[in-house]
Amino acid sequence: MKTRLPALAFIGFIALVGVILTLSPHNMRKVQGGFLGLISPFLKTGSSMEKKYRDFREGLKTLEQLEEENKRLAIANKDLSATNQTLRGLEAENNRLRNALGYAERSVFQLVPARITARDASTWYSSVTIDRGSAEGLKPDMPVLTEEGLVGKTSTVSAHAATVILIADETCKVAVNVENSTEKGIARGERGSTNAIPQIALTFITKQANLQPGQRVFTSGVGGVFPPGVPIGAVREFKVRELDGYATILPAVDLTTLEDVFVVISNRK
Amino acid sequence: MILFLILLVAMFLALVVQHFIGPLPPMGARVLLMPIIMFYGALALPLPAMFALTLAGGLMWDALHVQMVEGNFEIALGWSIVLYGVLGGLMSGFRPLFQRGRWEIHCLLSGVACAVIVLAEYLMITFRREPVIFVFNARIWWSIAASGIVATLLSPFFFFALNYVALASGYDPQPLRRQPKR
Repeated sequence: MKTRLPALAFIGFIALVGVILTLSPHNMRKVQGGFLGLISPFLKTGSSMEKKYRDFREGLKTLEQLEEENKRLAIANKDLSATNQTLRGLEAENNRLRNALGYAERSVFQLVPARITARDASTWYSSVTIDRGSAEGLKPDMPVLTEEGLVGKTSTVSAHAATVILIADETCKVAVNVENSTEKGIARGERGSTNAIPQIALTFITKQANLQPGQRVFTSGVGGVFPPGVPIGAVREFKVRELDGYATILPAVDLTTLEDVFVVISNRK
Repeated sequence: MILFLILLVAMFLALVVQHFIGPLPPMGARVLLMPIIMFYGALALPLPAMFALTLAGGLMWDALHVQMVEGNFEIALGWSIVLYGVLGGLMSGFRPLFQRGRWEIHCLLSGVACAVIVLAEYLMITFRREPVIFVFNARIWWSIAASGIVATLLSPFFFFALNYVALASGYDPQPLRRQPKR
């Protein structure tokens, strides 16, 4: 019996691998969600410990530094308040005019704030884990953004955690418009692109596009996953290829220092 | 049995820790802690336990790393189990040498196996994605090699610590170590 044990173990191993490999996507998603739920308390604890440590280090400032920071924040606060008031007025005016034209009132995104608990250890995927899940209304393929621009979309979702595929990933394709141009294209991460060194390419644009560095790139809303008008980044370089044009994009959001994000769970309040 | 359970828990915790660490700049080296523990298990434990460890390790790995693209999973859940099974089997082939108290070659092999895991992942992605383009620039090679180098450097520490844990749990993974030389 002892000599047969390795052979029996091997047969059992092959049989179990066969069962796992033939799982349906629905069951695979359940397994992934379950495992993400299992590790999320550990990730949350680790993330909060890291934040406490960082806050402690950042908190060690001199009185002069604090006064200077306070002044700077007060000025920024006044500036933002003024901008906010102006934008509110413009929003109201815009809605009035839209109503007058018979369009539906432009909807406002419903956002769920989330904190990044882990940056993926995967070499070939650009992704992060957040501390919000299906219990907060999250589902796969929901847009994730910050006040600076688009971050990515949700992928695996468990009860209290979710994986976000970043725009630097090759599998995250976004339909885009380019500022001051009629060009429409697809933005996607390049193979081997990482959070640390994000490389985003803008493809399916014409050879005549002649994009200039610094031209801003926004989501077009085509495809239905991402809302229109969200900044993605700015053109870094434009090249003419044999059949089409090609540009690289500098992302609007710094993916290496991301801490807090918003998940768009609905585009209506 | 106790060592097997310890290694299983250690693998889970290592997966959480490495998920938290992320790729190391500047080359994007991945710190693969879980595979190192799994390879130690392949050396210290008999074949059936090695299969159980690779099954658990591969399943945990895929559950955390496989991504869904446009409604479908890019790589089937379970492919890592096959890869880990093959690499664990190779490691297990070096078990007699490990039992005699030698571990230098095993640390080196552990690093090579970790680099193979990263390379295999890249090849899987390359074949799955459209269009099939083989991009093998210096950055890709460095990401693969650096992960192997980090694993090679970490392996001795892990092997030493786990050997200590094994002995403390009442299991001697190197029973032929103390035999007198002929």
